Amino acid sequence: MSQPRVIALFPEASFGAALNCVGIAQKLRDMGAIPVFLCHPGFTGVFAEYGFKEYHLPAPSQPQAQKNEDYWQAFINTHLPHFNLSAEAQLPTYVAPTWEAIVDTAIDAEAGVESLLDQIRPDAILLDNVIMFPAIVRSGYPWIRIVSCAETEIPDPNVPPYLSGLAPEDDAAVTRFEQTYLNATASAHQRYNAFRKSRGLRPLPAGTFLENSDRLNLLLAPSAVRYSRARPLPRERFVFLEGCVREESRFDPPQLPADDGPLIYMSFGSLGAIDTDLIGKMIDTFATLPARFMVNVGGFLEAYQHVPDNVYLGSWFPQPSVVEQSALFIHHGGNNSFCEALFHGVPSLVIPYCWDGHDNAQRAQATGTGRRLDRTTWSPDTLREAILALLNDTPMAARLQRISREMQAEPGARRAAEAVMAAIDVSH
Amino acid sequence: MADSRRNSRQNHIALAQQVIGVVLERGMSPGDHLPEQAFSEACGVSRTPIRAAFKILEEKEILTWKEEEGYFLEIGQADGLTEEAHRLEDMEDSLAQRILSDRADRRIGDIQSISALVRRYNVTRNSVLNALKILSRDGVVTQLPGRSWAFQPMFDTPKAVDESLAFRLTIEPQAILAPGFIMDIKKAGLLKMRMQELLDTQEGHITSTGFLRLDTEFHSFIAECSGNRFARGALLAHHRLRRATQKDISIPDFRLRQSLDEHLEILDSLERHQFELAADQMVLHLRRSRIRRPEAANRGIPPLMRGARQ
Repeated sequence: MSQPRVIALFPEASFGAALNCVGIAQKLRDMGAIPVFLCHPGFTGVFAEYGFKEYHLPAPSQPQAQKNEDYWQAFINTHLPHFNLSAEAQLPTYVAPTWEAIVDTAIDAEAGVESLLDQIRPDAILLDNVIMFPAIVRSGYPWIRIVSCAETEIPDPNVPPYLSGLAPEDDAAVTRFEQTYLNATASAHQRYNAFRKSRGLRPLPAGTFLENSDRLNLLLAPSAVRYSRARPLPRERFVFLEGCVREESRFDPPQLPADDGPLIYMSFGSLGAIDTDLIGKMIDTFATLPARFMVNVGGFLEAYQHVPDNVYLGSWFPQPSVVEQSALFIHHGGNNSFCEALFHGVPSLVIPYCWDGHDNAQRAQATGTGRRLDRTTWSPDTLREAILALLNDTPMAARLQRISREMQAEPGARRAAEAVMAAIDVSH
Repeated sequence: MADSRRNSRQNHIALAQQVIGVVLERGMSPGDHLPEQAFSEACGVSRTPIRAAFKILEEKEILTWKEEEGYFLEIGQADGLTEEAHRLEDMEDSLAQRILSDRADRRIGDIQSISALVRRYNVTRNSVLNALKILSRDGVVTQLPGRSWAFQPMFDTPKAVDESLAFRLTIEPQAILAPGFIMDIKKAGLLKMRMQELLDTQEGHITSTGFLRLDTEFHSFIAECSGNRFARGALLAHHRLRRATQKDISIPDFRLRQSLDEHLEILDSLERHQFELAADQMVLHLRRSRIRRPEAANRGIPPLMRGARQ
């Protein structure tokens, strides 16, 4: 009898990627493999709570932890105003410094990743990130790429640029955005390529920080929102998933003092929760609507007082279970959130603030699976109108039901696990 | 007068819960007869309050009454009798519960005047006073000089939950180790049965609220058994507050089950009088429960995690 395959999953330090990997790991475990996690400091225990073994990258020292807190405060002060800018205006202000930080992370983590892979000796590595850690390629173990961002992360002439929020037909804007993106990321990219070279890896083309795997690449993009590519991705190496929704514990909506109307869930992700001012103003509008609202406020519960009777705040929700029970999902366009809404046939009201949230907001609007609302120009009236219109959009509801049926017929997490196991078998 | 009526109703609700406890202990099935005499003996009260408790259970459609024959069990354990018993608790102190729940959900501030509460709940001043008295009995509110009342700290933020676990890590193992720990084996058996029932449910079907209820019952039970009266008092009050106000405990199915297994292991050790082992198991259990999720995480940027961490 063959030994169970050990699969090392390495998600980036964001909840979208982390929980997406949990979904795949649950299915890999069902198939007899042993999924383990390479875990960034700060995510300790997140995977263990789902029953997976964690291997921790070195934690920062205590002064560094304090520095992190200071860093976050500075991050909030600096970047909150940037979230109000257009996707293009965010390139120099937000995207460029973020890429610099990502490159720093890759450099800092390199020794730790190398040592952990030596320890784990996996049969395969699943990398869900936006940057390559050279230690992965150097280890010689088969590695698989998971693209848990929007499909725009893999470029094509028919696909609008990553992070642009543009439609493919916006030719002039597309060209301008592409050039601005290359300029904005040039410094980080140059630094990253130098690092790759020092680790014996070939350089990557401008604007690219992560190569595709020669073996297998998994993309979350469900068929309902997928682009028709000018250069279709080779099917033997690129597997599209119908989202990647994990299994979660069941959520029982709490009884509210005003307990009537449809359930609406709002979450802007753990980063979006820092904008307590925006969320507070939205909650004021929710109080005027005949619906029940579950609002994820992340670690900032203490910032809220006088919560309306039809609103419930939580710092964490088992999101797939809440979305399943909701009539509308208000989110930031995070790819996991968007996929979960589609998987459960729930319309999206996307209020993006950065990264591929812009891309998904555009795509939700274009495919008739939701609407985009601008975070700077909304008013209580436009928010109310958008919510009520989405709740009453019968053709959209029918479309989403069809999409949901199709996605649930082939759950992405299972499809991903099957593709991973097949790819490993080929390699043995 | 109104107060005594209210208290009497509360006593009958408590007795009704006790009746269900006896039904569960005896493994009774739907259709079984509940003899008044036997239940008055089992609950240590006269037949008059037992009748009042049966009446409440009839109102909740847990029992049926047949002319000349008496009361019969309508639903059994498989039909959710345990859940029904918990729902009975919700009947208790309903205004107090509403006030508490609104405070825990941050709908009302931590300092409240009687008149503000009268306006919000559209009830009499006496009702509000009564509710506040009930809450003050549990140490949830205290009266300030003048007419205002102040809520005590609650489990309304992740930081508060973390502080609670730090406190419990100090006290709960000591509550087990203190000389004079005596466990009610029958009650422990009932708790174990209910934990096993939860463990037997399909994956993903344990709700966090259902778990929290059983979790607080388990930890309160450990406190009740403690030989140290101060540890007992502090922990019982703490778990009452947890039960009333803790929210936001969405825990993955794996950890819920692992946690229930840990409870069962602790009870097993206690049954064998292996107190040191049980105390160590309690430390492990609480440490595992103390995992805190990052408050904010983003690409390339270290996750933010406030508060103490071990």
